[in-house]
Amino acid sequence: MPDLVRNVPQLAFPHLRMFHVNAVAVGWLSMGYVGSIFYMVPNLCKNKLWSERLGNITMWAWNLLMVGAFCTLLNGNTEGREYAELGAILDVMVAVALVLVALNIYMTILNRRVKKLYVTLWYFLGSLFWFPLVWIIGQRTFVALPGLNDAIIGWFYGHNILGMWFTTVGVGMMYYLLPRLTQAPLYSHGLSMLGFWGIALFYAPTGTHHITQSPVPEWLKAIAIISSIFLLVPVLTVLTNFFMTMKGRWGMVVTDMPLRFAVTSCMFYLVTCVQGPFQATRWVNWYLHFTQWVVAHAHLALLGTFSFILTSAVYYSLPKITGREFYSQGLIRAHYWLKFLGFSLMMTSLTIAGLIQSAGWAMGVPVDQWGLQIRPYWFFRSISGIMIVLGQCLFAYNVWKTLYTKPALTVAPKAKAAEVKA
Amino acid sequence: MHSYRLGAIGIVVTFFVIIFSTVLLPMVLFNPKPNDRSNDYSKIDKKIADAERGRKIYVREGCFYCHTQFTRLQDRGYGPLVKAGDYVWETPHQLGTARTGPDLTNEGERMASEWQKAHLINPRSVKPGSIMPSFSYLSGRDMNDLVAYLQCLGNRREVKHFVEAPDEYLTTTPAGMALHNRKTVDTAASASANAGRGIYTQNCAVCHGLEGYGNGPNATALEKKPPNFSRPYYKQYSDEMWFYRTSEGVVGTRMPRWAETLTEEQRWYVVAYLKTLPQNQEVTINSLDQLNKIEDIRLPKLSNQQYEPHHGGHGGHDTPADGDNMGPSEHQMPGSGSTSTPTTKTGTSTESGSTTGNGAEHKEGGH
Repeated sequence: MPDLVRNVPQLAFPHLRMFHVNAVAVGWLSMGYVGSIFYMVPNLCKNKLWSERLGNITMWAWNLLMVGAFCTLLNGNTEGREYAELGAILDVMVAVALVLVALNIYMTILNRRVKKLYVTLWYFLGSLFWFPLVWIIGQRTFVALPGLNDAIIGWFYGHNILGMWFTTVGVGMMYYLLPRLTQAPLYSHGLSMLGFWGIALFYAPTGTHHITQSPVPEWLKAIAIISSIFLLVPVLTVLTNFFMTMKGRWGMVVTDMPLRFAVTSCMFYLVTCVQGPFQATRWVNWYLHFTQWVVAHAHLALLGTFSFILTSAVYYSLPKITGREFYSQGLIRAHYWLKFLGFSLMMTSLTIAGLIQSAGWAMGVPVDQWGLQIRPYWFFRSISGIMIVLGQCLFAYNVWKTLYTKPALTVAPKAKAAEVKA
Repeated sequence: MHSYRLGAIGIVVTFFVIIFSTVLLPMVLFNPKPNDRSNDYSKIDKKIADAERGRKIYVREGCFYCHTQFTRLQDRGYGPLVKAGDYVWETPHQLGTARTGPDLTNEGERMASEWQKAHLINPRSVKPGSIMPSFSYLSGRDMNDLVAYLQCLGNRREVKHFVEAPDEYLTTTPAGMALHNRKTVDTAASASANAGRGIYTQNCAVCHGLEGYGNGPNATALEKKPPNFSRPYYKQYSDEMWFYRTSEGVVGTRMPRWAETLTEEQRWYVVAYLKTLPQNQEVTINSLDQLNKIEDIRLPKLSNQQYEPHHGGHGGHDTPADGDNMGPSEHQMPGSGSTSTPTTKTGTSTESGSTTGNGAEHKEGGH
């Protein structure tokens, strides 16, 4: 199977892998996030976006740089830094686009028509302040640091693209979506503030827990591990708030598809965030590091949690923006189940493969021997990947049809959807 | 508006404090000095192949997604442990995050360059079952440079000793330092060796033999025979190596992890004793018959009463022992067998009374 594609450098695994990571992080999640921010912030501020023209410019800039990423990364034009592979020009483009998005949103919020700042806005404001900075620090495009210092900054960035961008914007979206979808007020404003400050305080220093077993300073590892464990505080606060908001309304997930995506996302968030501090501790890290367990964990965060909440946001907001119901409710269901089951299979197979690898490393078994033992799990992982991709294709088809079908044709599905909901 | 201003200031201050402590502070405080162990890319003549350019190929092809470049304490057998100074010239760092393939920290010169090349072109031709993708699309020059780079990895981290304990036991690591700070036993002192002999006799002699020839009575039943410590090979063992072996046992054999049952102090005493084992004899064992002539360990006959401590250890000789192996000598206390004449040389070297039995018992010993 590794010889399925040969002699095509663009399809070699490492090139696909670096494009995969960047397409997910910079393409799918970041673009989706910015889109959701552009929808949610004016809604919460009860005014228009500060500059729709600027919004359009950033959208085109972002799409252009994704084309650039596609062309460069698949040919191996990389900086060789994980999560920061993009070349110098693209790095600068992302930074400029992020600053412009931040400017747009800050001005929108400053000109808002409601006095109160809802917690979602706190999250968006915070994220748009610190993520451009994290991005600029993390790229190291124009500096050549000594190896281990490079690694320290690299993991500061590598973990905070998750912690200070995907998590904070994602949680902000959960705060927006859950009360709207359930038609219920948020359980506690105080808890939401505690969760926000907890994340702001404890997330940023955790990066070094990725290299706890390398010769970097011990005090830095200690800071990283302690703050990783402290992260349980904001996570449990946030989830308590969500689950108490959901209280008595759990049945709604049966019929309400966006809510089902959102609730699944919260559940996966719980699992990820309990796993994270657990595997950041020295002795668990001793055993689990370098294995597919960590890959499973990363997918749990980016696919299980933040992709699901982003999908929920799209399913919620698209009909509101276009004024049309989705083309097919059946396709939404199919999307949900393919993604959910596919991801569950992926999580299980990667976790088991990771445990086999861990045992191999711990017992000193050579790689080429345990490598044979995990082959069945690579197989299951491929199947799960196909399921997820299929689900995303249905999603894309559904969105396409919703946007580009003449209104007359959408009447029937609309009626059908209403029927299903009732 | 004022309440929000406070919050906004809070966010900014918090963020900059964190940036300061985890980004700027390490840059200021952590400046490892370059040492003489980092990879030497100039080793291969640039006219033949350019290893520094090979590093760029390594980066370009994304090898670090599956191969790491740092050895951890527990990665035994992957060559010398890396130190902070090894990485000063390594930028962008290639530490890696996952090991879908083996660690490459000390890969240099392990395999012939032709092997590396064949492996890159068709991994499964030299490593059956490998899942590494083929890099056959690399040009001849790229391939040569990449192989040159691989051959330079760890080429200055030389293995200094023929046999050495893992770094956790050496003073070069924090764990090893802590171990040595806890150590109270002088392993060179004969008093320590004396203390260790008792522990050795009780725990080790049953397989290793009283003098470490590997001919204890249990050795006959073992598939993997205990080693012969009188061989010159074992004389190069450092204290740490002995301690490591004693503590962790030998995987794949019946040698247990004594760290589970003996204290650190006891294990250091054993080490002190092991170092005094005979050094001048080289016994070559050519057939199992030689080995199966086990040495005699004469255990005392114990009566049932002696098994039961509440009757008193000394009560055994007062009451006649009931049961099977009767004899006049039965009533002698272990250790009081001054009449016994040890028949083998090894018998004399034992110190405790419990193993220097009497002649009568020796007669029943099955020989």
